[in-house]
Parts: sequence; C-alpha cells; structure tokens
Amino acid sequence: MHEQIGEHITWLWPIVGTVHADTIMTTWLVMVLTLVFFAFVGKSYNSAYQTRRQTVIEGIVNYIADLSAGTLGQRGEPFVPFFISLFVFIFVMNQFGMLPFKALGLPFGGSPTADVNTVVPLALIVFSLCWIVGFRLNGIRQFAHLAKPSPALILINVIEEIARPVTLAARLFFNIFVGELLFIVVASIVQAKVAIGFFNLSLAVTFVPFLIQFFNLFVGTVQAFVFTLLAIVYLSLAIGEDH
Amino acid sequence: MSSEALVAGLTLLSFGIIIAAVAFGSAIGDGIVASKAVEAIARQPEARPNILTFMFLGIGVLEAFPIIGLGLAFYLLLVVVKVPDMIAHLSVVAK
Repeated sequence: MHEQIGEHITWLWPIVGTVHADTIMTTWLVMVLTLVFFAFVGKSYNSAYQTRRQTVIEGIVNYIADLSAGTLGQRGEPFVPFFISLFVFIFVMNQFGMLPFKALGLPFGGSPTADVNTVVPLALIVFSLCWIVGFRLNGIRQFAHLAKPSPALILINVIEEIARPVTLAARLFFNIFVGELLFIVVASIVQAKVAIGFFNLSLAVTFVPFLIQFFNLFVGTVQAFVFTLLAIVYLSLAIGEDH
Repeated sequence: MSSEALVAGLTLLSFGIIIAAVAFGSAIGDGIVASKAVEAIARQPEARPNILTFMFLGIGVLEAFPIIGLGLAFYLLLVVVKVPDMIAHLSVVAK
C-alpha cells in the first residue's frame, strides 16, 4: 500500500510547532471557495423573482432555520447564520475528499475532517458557544443542572458534560476517516491482483470502490447534518429549562 | 508455528470478532430505528418528511459507534500489529 492514510505533510511553524500542511491548505481552499460562492449568491439575491439557484440555497437556509426555530424557539434566531455556516462548511469539507487532488500529485487534498485537528476545534467552537450563551442568559445557575437529580451524581454529570464534545468530534472524525480508509483498503486489494484458485478476487471487487464512494457521499451529508442538529440540541439544552 | 504467525493469526481473529460484534449491534439498532419509522409513517403518512429526517438523524448518530469500532479495529490491524507486512514477511520466509 503506497498511499498512506493518516500521514500528513507537515510544516514547522514558529510558536505552534508542527502543523499538518495539507489539512490547512485544503481548509483554506474550502473557505475561499465557499466564501466566494456565498458572496456571489448573496450579491445576486433578488426577492422580486426567483431563479433556480436562489431556490436551492433558500431551501437549505429555510430547512436549517426551521429546525433551529423548532428546537430553540424565538431565542434561536441570532444563531441561525452560525448553524448554516457550520453545516455548509462541514458538508463541503466532507465532500472534498472525493476530488482526486492527492492522486494528481498536488500537495493538498483529502477531507480536512479526516484529521482530528480540524474536528476537535469545531466541537470546541460549538461547546464554547453553548457555555458562553448559557452563562450570559442564566448566570451561574447555568451549572446548577450538574447537581440536578441529586448532588451525589455530580461526578457522572461532569463526565457526561465532557463526553459530549468528545463524542461530537469523534463521530464526525471517524466517519470520514474510516470512509477514506475503506476506500484505500479496497483499492489496495484491487491493486494487489489477488487470485484464489480460478476466482480472481481483484477483478471481482473492482466495482466496490464506486459503491464506497457513493456511501461516502451519503455519510458526509448525513454527518454534516447530524453535527449541525446536535449543535442545535446542545445549545437548546444550554439555553434553559423554561422552554 | 512461529510466534509471528501466531500474533498475525490472533490479530486477524480479533479483527474478525470486533467487526462481527459491531455489525451485529448496529444492524439490530438500525433495524429498530427503521421499523419504528415505518410504523410511524404508516400511522401518520402526512408526517413522512419529518419522520424520515429524524430517522436519518438517528441512524447517523447510531452509526458512529460501529464506525468508531471499525476505525479502532483497522488501527489495531494496520498500525499496532502491521499484519500485511507480517504476512508478506511470513510468505517470504516460507518460500
């Protein structure tokens, strides 16, 4: 297996030390592409009549805004742009692994979300938002729910509070990473020209990478959606009980 | 049997056990989610898009654990023990 998964080109930066160059370059590329695209869409916005492009974008925006309104109510309105950008950013990053930049010999490529260093900050952004918003709305009573059923359970509640961002990050990371890993494993079986007796295993599994890539397309969409929806749910838990 | 062959064989066996357990649990969980969704749609056909959304959400949340198990199993197979290298080495020795 020549192509190594989970290995990155590194840069040595001052102060921060070693960084993953390909992840950073791909994330910047995704940011530039999505920012330019949405600046274009926002600039060409015209409420007088609807174009096809506008209908598609409004569908996504409305969908997430409805979800947020259904879970958070009126108080969730300021956070709708955050959730939309979270969804679009993660979605584009997940699908970016499908483009064969690395196979063409370019230094960037692959999904940035198949790197822990991308996923953990995203989960931390969501949770710092939850904690700060909850603290500003409820003050120190925000942390009263840790001793909610009885103060004896405070340890379990603290563990649960820590486990939430960890599982949020791990869910996204492992789904995308294992998708790429499965693809490489099956491709290496095809490359290795395995034959068992008269049965040519490599020829038989030639079509499997296509299926795995379709599966990855589905998984990337679902995981971007799950990440956004769980962010909405956690924010609704942080905002308060008088819902 | 050399000790290297024993290690490679036991790692492959544990890989198989992890995959089997993970597939077993997640298949049952997915089956429960899908059957409940079908029941709910049969009871309330007008709520179909909403139910399908939450069905995919539930499957997405639930599929994370088998995927994490699969990732750790591959980590065990390819990084910790390096079974493919071991098997290549063993077949070279056998010749």
